[in-house]
Amino acid sequence: MKRLLAPLFALGILLSACTTPVDDGTGPIKLGYIGPLTGEAASYGKDTLNGALLAINEINEAGGVNGRMIELIAEDGRCTGTDAASAAQKLVNVDKVVAIIGGQCSGETLAAAPIAESAQVVMISPISSSPDVTAAGDFIFRDYPSDALKTKAMAGYFKKEGIEKVAAITENTDFAVAFRDALKENIGDALVFDEVVEPGTKDYRSLMARLKDMEFDAFFPNGQTPAAMAAMVQQLREQGLTQVAISHDVAQDASMFEIAPDAVEGLLAIGVPAVDRDSDFGTKFLAEHGEAQGALFFAAQAYDAARLFANAMTEVGTEGVAIRDYLYAVSDFEGVVGTFGFDDNGDVTGMSYVLWTASNGAFTQGEAVPVN
Amino acid sequence: MTQLIINGLIAGSLAALIAGGLALVYGVLGVFNMALGQMALIGGYCTWWLHQIVGLSLPLSIIGGLTIAAFVSWIAFEIFINPFYKRHRFLPLVTTIALSMILDGLILLFFEEKPRAIMPGVRHSIEVFGARISIEQIVLISFTIMLMMVLAYVLHSTAFGRKVRAVVQHDHAAMSLGIRAPLLHRFLFIMSGVLAGLGGIYLGIDQNLTPVFAFPITIKAYAAIIAGGKGNIWGAIVCAYLIAILEQLVVGVHWFGSFYVPAGYQQTVALLFIILFLLFKPAGMFSTKTRSA
Repeated sequence: MKRLLAPLFALGILLSACTTPVDDGTGPIKLGYIGPLTGEAASYGKDTLNGALLAINEINEAGGVNGRMIELIAEDGRCTGTDAASAAQKLVNVDKVVAIIGGQCSGETLAAAPIAESAQVVMISPISSSPDVTAAGDFIFRDYPSDALKTKAMAGYFKKEGIEKVAAITENTDFAVAFRDALKENIGDALVFDEVVEPGTKDYRSLMARLKDMEFDAFFPNGQTPAAMAAMVQQLREQGLTQVAISHDVAQDASMFEIAPDAVEGLLAIGVPAVDRDSDFGTKFLAEHGEAQGALFFAAQAYDAARLFANAMTEVGTEGVAIRDYLYAVSDFEGVVGTFGFDDNGDVTGMSYVLWTASNGAFTQGEAVPVN
Repeated sequence: MTQLIINGLIAGSLAALIAGGLALVYGVLGVFNMALGQMALIGGYCTWWLHQIVGLSLPLSIIGGLTIAAFVSWIAFEIFINPFYKRHRFLPLVTTIALSMILDGLILLFFEEKPRAIMPGVRHSIEVFGARISIEQIVLISFTIMLMMVLAYVLHSTAFGRKVRAVVQHDHAAMSLGIRAPLLHRFLFIMSGVLAGLGGIYLGIDQNLTPVFAFPITIKAYAAIIAGGKGNIWGAIVCAYLIAILEQLVVGVHWFGSFYVPAGYQQTVALLFIILFLLFKPAGMFSTKTRSA
């Protein structure tokens, strides 16, 4: 009997994994979440999850979506493709969620995308910025601008400041490598030092020793996490190198100052404008979840994604194709992070960049950095 | 070049602390401890907590961190090693992997996912032969080398060291001569935990601590003990430094004046090192022929 049961059981699991998600129109609407809840990138996960939860609690308190409550099912993507893929499998096949907020790390989004795509489940990624997400699929959206745009802004900044030689150290992750590639397309030979290190490397000293012997105008620590980026900047400064350091918004993380307060001083970051702490969203978030672990705008991005889903489901119901078509038609959603819409690739439109400067333990917002 | 050697010494001292402890345990107990990296992190994180959160002075925090590391190692030995390792020497391989996962979870629970630095801030660097090194790094390196010398003295010139070496050579023969091998096993395992904890503190002072760092630490220590020869503490320590310096040279040197090896291959060096050793000198670099029955 036991011999018979085992294959039957396995078959059962297989069959249950094959059925497509169906929402029966009653009970709570299940919304999925994928993000790094543990590991080095967990601050993104905590903030985005809290942002999404804040939106969902508000919606539920106001009566839900056409009378139905929203239930958020969070899965840990650990900032890796494999974990995000199994998280997506579980959300789509076991929980049968209507839509997914996630992933956060670009590697998560790219790995989860094919699974969501084939099940016709819409995903909105709050903070994935890899250029590859643009072509990740018809059901894949993001409310955060692609790095392809940010690298253009960065190249423009280099040109404006007369920076002709850039030295970059890149962590070997989907996000950081894609950013490096996109930047290289824009500045070409100006990238005079271009090394890729394994994720989690903490010792960049041999590379710094090489940098010491060469001429460069700006250092670009292209890390996936603040931990790596802080170590890069610290070891750069230890070598007595005083060139300006400029990076993307991974640098805009409170923990940078805890690890290397002196070295981080003066670090520049090109990112999106701040979310006002005194705004309606800001005060509510701080009251409910306290200070953001990474940055408040992570939470705001996820908050907007959750609200968008709620709007879509109120208007067109819980069917994947309908939600997708609704989102493509959005052109002026008034979110916490700004008024935005989506283009034909599911990329956000209407967002802009500013230059951030690290000083005295915090990043301050400066001039606008145009994309052209 | 001087800079690369100094960088190698910085990284090598960290590896040597951990590999030294591992060699003791592997040599004497014949046990693979896969949770070593986590034990290092626990020492580092507890020191960070005592220093940055509780506000104790650095020396007191280090003593506190090591005490906790010793305590955790002792508990780990009683629960995950002692009941199993006499039965089969590969059993602890599995139990310590379980332990490493439990410790990973505990570290996340207590210290969160954020990177932590025991002494944040830029180091005060000085120039030595055209290379830069910070005062903190000089202290860390010289302390590690001194500690290794003390270890050498204890092992080779004291009665206690003779007992350890006797147990390394033959467990039962040593017991028949009145050496309490089981007690010694316990003591050495705790010692290795303390040394690993020191490694974690070293890492926390020199760079920063993150929960995912445990596995690379463990792997490098294994590379060093395999290359150094089974149970050969000196071999392990020398190889730890050697691998670290090699790692720096591979990436930092302008090879034949024409190309650099991409930095992504840096971590591969340690593993290639093991493979080469196993190919040409399976018993390790410093192995001597031992008689066996």
